[in-house]
Amino acid sequence: MDFELSPEDAAFRDEVRSWLADHREQIAAVRRHRWEDGGDSFEMYRVWERTLFEAGLGAVHWPKTYGGRDATLAQQAILTDEYIRADGPERINRLGLGLLGPTLMVYGTEEQRAAHLAPILRCDEIWCQGFSEPDAGSDLASLRTRGVRDGDDYVINGQKIWTSLGRFGDWIFCLVRTDTEVPKHKGITFILIDMHSAGVEVRPLVQINGEKRFAEVFFTDVHVPVSNVVGEVNDGWRVAMTTLGFERGTGLGSPAAFNRLLDQVIDLSRRQPRYDGVAADDPDVRRRVAQAYIDTRVFELNVQRTLTQLSKGAELGSEASLTKLYWSEMETRIEELAVDVLGPRGELAPSAPEAVRDGEWFNEYLYARASMIYAGTSEVQKNIIAQRVLGLPRES
Amino acid sequence: MDFDFSDEQYLLRDTFREMLRRECTPKHVRAMWDDSSGRSPQRWAKLVELGVTGLTIPEEHGGSGMTEVDLVLLLEEAGRALLPEALLEHTAVGAPLLARAGTAAQKQEWLSRLASGAATVTVGLHGSPFVADATADLVILEQDGELHALTQERLTLIPQRSVDGARRLFSVTAETGDDTRMSSSAEHRQWAFDHAAAATATELVGVAGALLDMTVAYVSQREQFGRRVGSFQAVQHKLAETLLVVESARSAVYYAAYALANDLPDASIATSVAKAYATDAERKANTEALQLHGGIGFTWEHDLHLWLKRGKALELQYGDADWHRRQISDWIYATKS
Repeated sequence: MDFELSPEDAAFRDEVRSWLADHREQIAAVRRHRWEDGGDSFEMYRVWERTLFEAGLGAVHWPKTYGGRDATLAQQAILTDEYIRADGPERINRLGLGLLGPTLMVYGTEEQRAAHLAPILRCDEIWCQGFSEPDAGSDLASLRTRGVRDGDDYVINGQKIWTSLGRFGDWIFCLVRTDTEVPKHKGITFILIDMHSAGVEVRPLVQINGEKRFAEVFFTDVHVPVSNVVGEVNDGWRVAMTTLGFERGTGLGSPAAFNRLLDQVIDLSRRQPRYDGVAADDPDVRRRVAQAYIDTRVFELNVQRTLTQLSKGAELGSEASLTKLYWSEMETRIEELAVDVLGPRGELAPSAPEAVRDGEWFNEYLYARASMIYAGTSEVQKNIIAQRVLGLPRES
Repeated sequence: MDFDFSDEQYLLRDTFREMLRRECTPKHVRAMWDDSSGRSPQRWAKLVELGVTGLTIPEEHGGSGMTEVDLVLLLEEAGRALLPEALLEHTAVGAPLLARAGTAAQKQEWLSRLASGAATVTVGLHGSPFVADATADLVILEQDGELHALTQERLTLIPQRSVDGARRLFSVTAETGDDTRMSSSAEHRQWAFDHAAAATATELVGVAGALLDMTVAYVSQREQFGRRVGSFQAVQHKLAETLLVVESARSAVYYAAYALANDLPDASIATSVAKAYATDAERKANTEALQLHGGIGFTWEHDLHLWLKRGKALELQYGDADWHRRQISDWIYATKS
């Protein structure tokens, strides 16, 4: 047992830290924009992705062969940590870099890798994920978007929903039903669809907070070459499970993000008036802050234990559900605490003169609530943990 | 970074676990409930044989000079098997405390005998009204800000029966004197408390793990409404939540052991994190275990209550979860900017 960084990892951390420090102004410039506003604002984020790539920091987890750095898991964690501390801009191509790229490395053909990996790295292709449908949420395998073979093409008809970045996407990796005669998990195919194709229509969805960060995507007789199928036809469920494994893993739940959030809440509690004093005088606030510290600290330790296991060759299987369940529920508790610390000011909306951080705490609180729904709801995670980790019976 | 144990550490754990599997079954534990001493000389001999009694005593005093990280997996197993003997008081706290804070004469007189298991030691720290296993040959008492090493002729003991019939608690009054005084710096007293709290947290993780395993096994075979109880989602979700906190508590106690072994600046806070988290995790396992066993778990005959009571007892020792949360919030608001 040893928590010291190796000399190589320490050197990597120093490199990343000094690079981010050198780019402080560019980071601040990008952060003044919101990518969901589109146009030049979105382009700022695209340019930032290219800057990261050119510095060799865009996809450190990818193999060198594909333009990455073969970074170890420890180094990936270091980069994420430093990036969050430096207040780095949101990674707009995380679905390409984090999900599709690695999936193609496992299941893709040489042609698919050649066609897409480099454009993902350069952020020439923005990728979306097309899994969920209006009637296939937690029960993903009941999806109904059809793919019917027609010569060298599949013809796609149907609808996807909750598509993050949908308005800006160039490509979407989709699950479509290619066989209706077999049990539902067995007739699904994983296919890559060019969103600029004829018959693709994107309609923005307005979220609970008024933002338009995701969309609905409609497919009407969209022709997609058979060569865009990833893995075997009708074996898409297996491919998708690999993709979801990348999503539910440690990548989405970074200890540094939660440590930073907690520090902000502590700071807030010291300043927010409460009756004749500040929130930090309230023993119940203090108790909840202590619990939040415990939760973030234990999460960080859990991640370090998992990283150690993975670095020794263990596979991240259903245990990823434990990580997702832990951080999404923790994040919600901490954001709830922040809103409670604000007290009566907690309900103030952006532009209200007395709104703290222009209402951003409430916005973050809403996004935390979403985290218990996306990438598998807490209830789905518990089913997975019970049945696949604890081995409890599946009868109904 | 390597947050895992070595092959040697796992091997020691496996050997210890195998011994407990033979010598510390629920039947053995129940026998201790009815035994006047509550302790088994045969099992103590096995602990000696495995070197557990001298594990944390420096080599020059006949021990093996191992660390908290070597010990933590054994404490977890001791909790899991409900080991009646005072591994926590003797090996995790008392012996290494004497090695740190004892006078030269005290160390000379006791350490090699504690290492060989010929003598036993226990501790009574500030905030604990009772001393577990106070019939030990040597009792280290914290009194009025001082640590004293006392033998039985300086002590008056009044037994205090625990709901956990395998625990042996006593009220202790002591005749302290210059000859019993140890080095009593605040650091030594904090060291003793942190070690006791972290070791208790670790035993709680063992208890919680056992409760979870027993309950998973039970609901996997028990049938109602023509199906196995463990196939109901309400049952599955309780156990999934329990696994999450028990597994997380493991991370917390392993790190506390590392921080203590390396005298890290965050050792006391890591200990409070571990004790608070492990206490809550065990409480969750304790609650769900009885609930999911149903009526059979409420009977004296079923072994479940042996774990329920040990867990409850340990939750309360060396600071409960709220007490440790208070240490953490006081530290946060005093230091974190």
